[in-house]
Amino acid sequence: MFEELLEEIAQKNGLRGVSTSLKLATGLGALLLTLSATGYPGPLFIALALTGALLLLARIDPRTLVEVYAAPCSFAVMGVVVIVLVSGGSGGAWSWQPLPWLSLSITPEGINRGWMVLCRTLGGVASLLFVALTTPMTDLFVVMRSCRVPPALIELVMVVYRTIFILLDQLVRCYHAQVMRLGYSTRREAVRSFATLCGAVFIASWNAGEDQIRAREMRCYDGRLVPLGGTRPIEARPVLAVAGFLALGVVVTVLSGGMTLPGGAG
Amino acid sequence: MHIMEGFLPATWAIVWWLVALPCLLLGLYRLRRLLSVDREALALLGVTGAFVFILSSLKLPSVTGSCSHPTGTGLSAICVGPWVTSVIAAVVLLFQALFLAHGGLSTMGANLVSMGIAGPFVGYLVYRALRETPVSIFLTVFLASALADLVTYVVTSLELALAYPAEVGGFFGSFTLFLGVFALTQVPLAIVEGVVLALVFKYIVQLKPEILVRLGVFSEERIVATQRGLADAA
Repeated sequence: MFEELLEEIAQKNGLRGVSTSLKLATGLGALLLTLSATGYPGPLFIALALTGALLLLARIDPRTLVEVYAAPCSFAVMGVVVIVLVSGGSGGAWSWQPLPWLSLSITPEGINRGWMVLCRTLGGVASLLFVALTTPMTDLFVVMRSCRVPPALIELVMVVYRTIFILLDQLVRCYHAQVMRLGYSTRREAVRSFATLCGAVFIASWNAGEDQIRAREMRCYDGRLVPLGGTRPIEARPVLAVAGFLALGVVVTVLSGGMTLPGGAG
Repeated sequence: MHIMEGFLPATWAIVWWLVALPCLLLGLYRLRRLLSVDREALALLGVTGAFVFILSSLKLPSVTGSCSHPTGTGLSAICVGPWVTSVIAAVVLLFQALFLAHGGLSTMGANLVSMGIAGPFVGYLVYRALRETPVSIFLTVFLASALADLVTYVVTSLELALAYPAEVGGFFGSFTLFLGVFALTQVPLAIVEGVVLALVFKYIVQLKPEILVRLGVFSEERIVATQRGLADAA
């Protein structure tokens, strides 16, 4: 189930000591470059560079990284297949009209469009993963407060964050107990067990939430949760590295604007 | 199935953020008002948010090979209303992006419109329409949850079709195909989610009915009558 969240990996990654603002600037800057690119080399460069940084600098286990990339890639591939089929164009190798208002074909233009979307998704996912795998949520709370995000929202984010771990703990224990009692042996039994699991976890978490309120009130809780942790200093070398990476990203993106795969008009 | 980071062109990512933001701001206003009169509501919102996070993180393969998951937002809309649910969904989507690489930051506006606004609103309308009728509590929860789930996927297909219209057939051609790949395959899963959440409600009615009374989900008389019915059936 949820034995390992990206959050747990982020807590012990090699870039844990680097300034949160700098890591966010890297991830968000790379994301903006990816979204503004009109040719495929820019997003591909971002994806490769940030994956390399995750493996070499953040020291993320390669197998874990492949697993983490698998889910977004499966969605991207399914979506890209649809985009290739509906894009149309000339010189197609195959075409089919299953419905009067729907024509499917595979053409160089369609392949180019799909390839561009795939590269953009890879660049976007790499940017997101760079933030997710190097920055624990607890560090983001501090940044959110300094960015003047509404206190009610920060408070809700922090409470949900804490409750997720209470709920996960209950869920994993109940689930294993059900599996040991053959609770998922048949389809019908599985639906019943899953519903019981959700109900039991909901009630247990409710009780844990009420305990939390009582504990807070005993500590003179006045409606404001204080996120722990200070801001990390911004050092010169990481700043130069990030500036260099983003500058190179801009150059690649601008120079490769409009570039398509050979043989396609894009 | 959330739309992954980078999948939508920048223009459409911005458009969906602009659609989502007013709903999110209204949800925040309602949340502040709720917390100012009832501090204990925070724990409930935490539980609901975490519950939606867990449910919508259970990725299940669907028939076409695409990835589907329950949304859980129908339950949230019934318990705390659709506006606050949009804020809870925003928090859940942020956590899913950062904890599980599921969804994204630029595509969060689009995902929020489908999973946090359109789905919960439909679920809530179904619940409000049936709440005061003789229809059973469990059938009401089943219909609200299943339709909230299904509408989420229909809206996701709509968002994808608007961003990538077909050359022949335009938006409708593309929408048909996206609907076939991502939404039709969701029908069995939406039914399963409806059944599961109805059973969760049955469990809560039997063991901790005061939660439902406190939230005003159903009246005390209806819950007592349902408990009596369950006891007679057993």
